Amino acid sequence: MNEQAAYLTDKLNAIITGADTLLPEFLLAIFFLLLITLDLFRSESIKRLLPWLALTGLFSVLALQVLGSYTSVANESFLNLLVSDGLARYGGILFSAAGIFTILMALQHEQLERLKEGKGEFYALLLLLVLGLNLMAKSVNLLMVFLSIETVSIASYILTLTLKQEKRAVEAGLKYILYGALSAGVMLYGMSFFYGFSGTLAYTTEAFALGLLQADGLLVTIAAILVLAGFFFKISAAPFHFWAPDVYQGAPLPVVALFSTGPKMAGILVILRFVGNFSDATAFADVQLLLGVAAIATMVIGNFTALWQKTPRRLLAYSSVSHAGILLMVLLALGTSYTSSLLFYLTVLLFMNFGIFLVLQVSEQRFGVKSLEDFSGIGRMQPFLGVMAILNVLSLTGLPPLAGFMAKLLVFSNVWEAYTLSGNTMLLTLLILGVLLTGVALFYYIKIPYYLFFKRNQSQENLVISPSNKLLLALFALPLLVLFFKPDLLLHWIEQLLTQTL
Amino acid sequence: MNDFILSSLIFTPLLAALLVLLLPVRLQHTIKAVALAGTVVQMGLAILLYFGFDGTVLANGQQGYQFVEKLNWIGFTLGSLGRFQIDYFLGVDGISISMVLLTGIVGVIGVISSWTITKNVKGYFLLYLLLLTSVMGCFLALDFFLFYLFFEFMLLPMYFLIGIWGGPKREYAAIKFFIYTLVGSLFILLVMIGLYTSVIDPQATAVQMGFAEQGAEAGKAVVTQVQQMLQRNAISSYNLVRTFSIPAMMEPANFIPNSLLHVLSGSVLWDLPLRFIAFLLLFAGFAIKVPSVPVHTWLPDAHVEAPTPISVLLAAILLKVGGYGLIRIVYPIFPDAGAYFAVLVGGLGVLSIIYGALNALAMSDLKKLIAYSSVSHMGFVLLGLASLTVEGVNGAVYMMFSHGIISAMLFLVVGVIYDRAHDRMIQNFRGLAHMMPVYTVFVVIAFFASLGLPGFSGFIAELLVLVGGFGAPEATGLLPRWLTVVAVFGLLLAAAYYLWALQRMFFGKYWIFPELREKATLTDLTTREYLMLVPLALLALLFGIFPHLLLDKIGLTVTGFTELVLQRGQEQLGLILSTLR
Repeated sequence: MNEQAAYLTDKLNAIITGADTLLPEFLLAIFFLLLITLDLFRSESIKRLLPWLALTGLFSVLALQVLGSYTSVANESFLNLLVSDGLARYGGILFSAAGIFTILMALQHEQLERLKEGKGEFYALLLLLVLGLNLMAKSVNLLMVFLSIETVSIASYILTLTLKQEKRAVEAGLKYILYGALSAGVMLYGMSFFYGFSGTLAYTTEAFALGLLQADGLLVTIAAILVLAGFFFKISAAPFHFWAPDVYQGAPLPVVALFSTGPKMAGILVILRFVGNFSDATAFADVQLLLGVAAIATMVIGNFTALWQKTPRRLLAYSSVSHAGILLMVLLALGTSYTSSLLFYLTVLLFMNFGIFLVLQVSEQRFGVKSLEDFSGIGRMQPFLGVMAILNVLSLTGLPPLAGFMAKLLVFSNVWEAYTLSGNTMLLTLLILGVLLTGVALFYYIKIPYYLFFKRNQSQENLVISPSNKLLLALFALPLLVLFFKPDLLLHWIEQLLTQTL
Repeated sequence: MNDFILSSLIFTPLLAALLVLLLPVRLQHTIKAVALAGTVVQMGLAILLYFGFDGTVLANGQQGYQFVEKLNWIGFTLGSLGRFQIDYFLGVDGISISMVLLTGIVGVIGVISSWTITKNVKGYFLLYLLLLTSVMGCFLALDFFLFYLFFEFMLLPMYFLIGIWGGPKREYAAIKFFIYTLVGSLFILLVMIGLYTSVIDPQATAVQMGFAEQGAEAGKAVVTQVQQMLQRNAISSYNLVRTFSIPAMMEPANFIPNSLLHVLSGSVLWDLPLRFIAFLLLFAGFAIKVPSVPVHTWLPDAHVEAPTPISVLLAAILLKVGGYGLIRIVYPIFPDAGAYFAVLVGGLGVLSIIYGALNALAMSDLKKLIAYSSVSHMGFVLLGLASLTVEGVNGAVYMMFSHGIISAMLFLVVGVIYDRAHDRMIQNFRGLAHMMPVYTVFVVIAFFASLGLPGFSGFIAELLVLVGGFGAPEATGLLPRWLTVVAVFGLLLAAAYYLWALQRMFFGKYWIFPELREKATLTDLTTREYLMLVPLALLALLFGIFPHLLLDKIGLTVTGFTELVLQRGQEQLGLILSTLR
């Protein structure tokens, strides 16, 4: 009896002392509850406040994480489940930014603004999703990973269905849930293997790594495949990317923009921590090969399928798949310090994805763009929108003078360096493919400016783009230029964060 | 002034572009005036630079740059990879000075030629000026990253200039141009990544290690000491400062010992040393731009569809970036592979000469004929470079300059007939000399200058290349003599296609295809056209009669360059081949 009491006291103490490392998460949870509660009131004036309340919450979380004062007792994990290191902190900054951008985009979205039911839910769920992403980045325990991924997934399913009256949304939501449930099950199954190998779920510990080394190689590979299946689903890597085009087609664009960044970033951070266990090139050659093949497949499928797409949403869905491939590729540059390159890439990805999806949202709502051909002539009528589209598209392709180029350059340098160190031909293949597929990528991305500027459209009505939209577009585009010309500003900071707490 | 003249050269058009951006759309004449002013200032600066450039300074591509500007631009640390350094690094030597002068002159001619543009004037001149900025940047950059930035940025304005202001099949041509050049630049990117992760800046590394003061020039002894320590693997990876500087990449002692592109690394891929593969990739990237057969097919399309001024720019200066890249980057960084693949490069050059000329002979579109003659003439650049003789390389540089002047003229005269008849098929015209005598005089001048008549700059260039080629077997032993013999037939073919076109279109009894008769108003040259053609014709003559005007400026650099590349090439080739066995 006494033993149990002592155990409980220990746990409680640990919770109390560790709680301040989870300040951002608590804050998000509080705002989430606040939003849900306030949503119960019928008053219009309260309803109108909800998005701003959500924004306040996210801004305060962002500020908290940028300042970082809450991580005073860094490096100590919370109940062996969550750790607030520099990686998680930078991830948290990205997620809060993604949440803020989503709300800013949603405020410009006509249907979401006119939404009669569930407007409060929408913003509450956004907070929940960001909370889940934060937890994903902090998880050092497989069970915690599972829980946080499910939090994100459930929020995502409902967010996909925000515009219930649209048939496409329902189809997308259903497909999303089916794939999600399947991959979650598979992932959980795989995790049970890992528990069997090592007797622990804390997957960043030495005990865990040791257990893997002693276990049967084939079994470890199979278990890794199963777990990675769940992770790949989140980052929409092949062959678990099938949901992406449908969801991108059906969900409201602010949500799509969030899906293309938030879960992807969190997922890749989880994989980053997970893959650390498999850095031994001889013992885990199979797992590395598997990751390499997945990266290649993701890049090839993403880029080549994008070539045949007729609608901008599906095109961007496959473009997002191809970016997942590059993210996977970085993780294989073992032996080099790829974390800062990865974080840089994620940051650039955040801005360019929100930029291009905002361009798309404006074009859809103002000019009724449904297919690529509908872009015809818009760039000539609206040079500002056209130029913003070009900036984002070229950054996605990875051409100078835009940050997308810098990000790719860093990634490729890491892979080259890893190849120099290990002489592994797979890395060279990845590198060459990654570079050459940029050419393929240009082929489909260029379609957007092509229609915008080269084709003429019949209707000559001159519609206006609201100043707030223009401002937001500029806000997303500016970092793309700044981060090309002065990437060191961000890289210094990332390096600082990483060394401080790791 | 002298301190910032290179930056001013690059940014003058950019400044003009910003002005154009701020001007309202309806002030078309002001926009044109601003563009003209911007290019005239740039040309003035280029001429100033030409006269200020000291041709007696010894230079070899690695040293001897003048008007150097170097500023730290981007520097960051990537964990165990050490520091990365990207500099804003500009300089001119004899090779770039000729290209800068050419760009300055052609830039102005292009604006005059664009005076008749009516469609979206603001956008046009904005892109035009951006294009000039990036081309000039390419010719002045000494940092690979900076070079690549300008090199890639060139694509975008060009894509839109062809795609919006071009002819009927403009969209196809624009995309083809974009994809071809982008794929080329991706090859270059691959090698660039490989190079900068392998090369350190000894100066900056010395500073990092505390051997030298920050900002102060480290002495030669210190640099040598750092290089020796590097080769003994005695510098910790945290102290290595990797660099994009092209001169640093030329020095084999700056390569990190275990890096894959090190001469002694012994790394092979598909049975070829990695350095050779890197050379081939870079060569492919720049050969697309040159363009060399078999990757030239974008050029005729782009030329045919592009509006006249853009054709002028494309032929006169954009193609030169390809040849310039070969001289500035590919050969000095990989001299070993340059020596090893001399026959391949020279062979492709000769193939381009002959194949381009044969194609030109078969063309019925005058603009296509000239486009293929460009392919043929740029083949001489490859041949001259591959020979690695002083005469050959001089010839290659001279050819780039002279082809820039002459091809600008050629595309302008095609533009003249197209403006009047909206057609340029050779078989649709006969006896034009009766209707447009002065115009015919200029066509004759342009054609004869291009086919290499003595007295024009083209003759000097071809002569130098051929002398170099014929001398190569004795001087460098890199090229067999028969290659040059075959190249001579290119001259014959050039005479054939030009004279035949001249005879068909301009001489004989006046006749014009019936359907064109109503639209066509065959008046002779206007003042604006004189303004473009007369200076170009005079320049072609000037540099044909007084070749020393240019050769004095480029001569010493080329000599130094050739010696360095040849000597290092032989040494390193021996080392690489010895590591293979």
